[in-house]
Amino acid sequence: MIDLSIEVPLAAFTLRVEAALAGRVTVILGPSGSGKTSLLETVAGLRPKARGRIALDGQVLQDDARRLRLAPERRRVGYVPQDSGLFPHLSVLGNVRFGARGGDEGRVESAIDTLGLRPLLGRSPGALSGGERQRVALARALASDPRVLLLDEPLASVDVELKERILPYLLRVRQDWRVPMLYVTHNVGEALVLADHVLVLRAGAVEASGAPSQLLSSPLMARQVAVGGIENIFPVRVLSHDTSAGVTRLRTESGLDVAVPLASARLPGSTATLAIRAEDVLVAVEPVRGLSARNVYEGRITRLDQTGIDVLVGVEVAGGSTWLARLTPGAVRELQLALDGRVWLAVKSHSARWV
Amino acid sequence: MLTADELGVLLFTLGIAGLGTLLILPLGVGLALVLARYRGPGKSALETLLSLPLVLPPTAVGIMLLEVFSRRTALGAALAAAGLDVVFTWRGVLVATSIMSFPLLVRSARTAFEEVDPRLVGIARTLGRGPAATFFTVTLPLARRGVIAGATLAFARALGEFGATVMVAGNIPGRTRTLALAIFHDNQVGRDDRAVVLGGVTAVLAFGALWTSEWLTRRNAGRGEA
Repeated sequence: MIDLSIEVPLAAFTLRVEAALAGRVTVILGPSGSGKTSLLETVAGLRPKARGRIALDGQVLQDDARRLRLAPERRRVGYVPQDSGLFPHLSVLGNVRFGARGGDEGRVESAIDTLGLRPLLGRSPGALSGGERQRVALARALASDPRVLLLDEPLASVDVELKERILPYLLRVRQDWRVPMLYVTHNVGEALVLADHVLVLRAGAVEASGAPSQLLSSPLMARQVAVGGIENIFPVRVLSHDTSAGVTRLRTESGLDVAVPLASARLPGSTATLAIRAEDVLVAVEPVRGLSARNVYEGRITRLDQTGIDVLVGVEVAGGSTWLARLTPGAVRELQLALDGRVWLAVKSHSARWV
Repeated sequence: MLTADELGVLLFTLGIAGLGTLLILPLGVGLALVLARYRGPGKSALETLLSLPLVLPPTAVGIMLLEVFSRRTALGAALAAAGLDVVFTWRGVLVATSIMSFPLLVRSARTAFEEVDPRLVGIARTLGRGPAATFFTVTLPLARRGVIAGATLAFARALGEFGATVMVAGNIPGRTRTLALAIFHDNQVGRDDRAVVLGGVTAVLAFGALWTSEWLTRRNAGRGEA
């Protein structure tokens, strides 16, 4: 539980946040320059001009009314800045060990394994890719036994083309380590897949706060979707490769089978993360036949949200996972889509992207 | 080849320069850190004051030191009473060379500290290191080449100090005579051949020290870009 009641004077405005964040993962969503990074730095104790009260699981980190302010080293926060902030004079192992209080080697080893750093331990940070640097920074933060992880756009500095984003590792950390996260991003898809709670910031003020699905119709979400699009993001396990059909078969956590273009480099049994843009999901009101799309699922409409010009349709399919499809209002009218209506979704295998 | 006396002068000079550099290191590094991080009133005044020995005639620094440490002052009298006379002793050589070389250490170290990303310092704090531990595990290691380069420059400057030294410590054979003073003395008494030999020795020493300093600074810059 993170209690925030803070004011931070910034160049363009004053950041004001009042929030009680109970979720395991709280995503702070907002356009660049909305004060997201300043919020994280304030929690970490790195903003001397920040005023107010911050409490973490009942322990007060800062309360200016009582002239109380814990130094950053006593707050036990695991801060991962956007540029990783690795120490250039230390190896990967040296960086991960740096934060281990009392030389807790067990935590260091677990962090190294969770983030898959074994092969990189002797390297210098300068010899790492962007995604590798983020993984080292995340392991270093975990090794310091933090009570909260502060993650600043961990996916932003990573070259998407290299397909080495660290989302699968973040999902693993969320699953295996009992550390709450404050996660800053401007990507709605990331917020949807990771967050229990979303705080929407705009020009230093909280514009909306709530469960991610509740916020899809909020103006800012709509803007973000209009600008950056929205993706369905699923952690998956590789089942098999079908060379003659030219596809690799995957299964999502909720038991849904997905076929994607052959990716023989992915070992059967290994895990990965798949992203499919909401505009690449087709919606039909009758069972689909004679269509080239490899992935067809039957489901029920659970939400219909006007986001900007388009309508975001949420469809719950067998197994319980929800897909988002982005349709024009005209299409929604023509198909007479309504809540609880039965629909079939069709997804081309080529519209899936590894992340 | 050097005579026994000349060898003594050489060792004395190296010893004074080395000891002086070690003595000014903690204070110089501390001041450099303050100048690199501190933003506020008095900063430029302090910087100017610290750089003064670079531009003042060394004899001007020497006469000030002579005034400060003479037995007429409380400090000078107290030191004399404790058997730690500065004026016309090896301690005078140490004080004069240290003061003259101090700004070189501070300037080089300050630049190195300014190049350390303050965000890394903040991150080290969030990882549980207090200010002192952060300094020794992050700031100083990242700035170490600049600090060592500054210390090397200061050492080289101390090797060649003349003006302030001759004012405070005189030119007493076997007691306060350094290489620079010995060269002057040899020339004065007509032994120009020995003066040339000693001049060559100082040139070799200074070249080695400066080259080391340059090399370290360049490597530091290269690391910054990586």
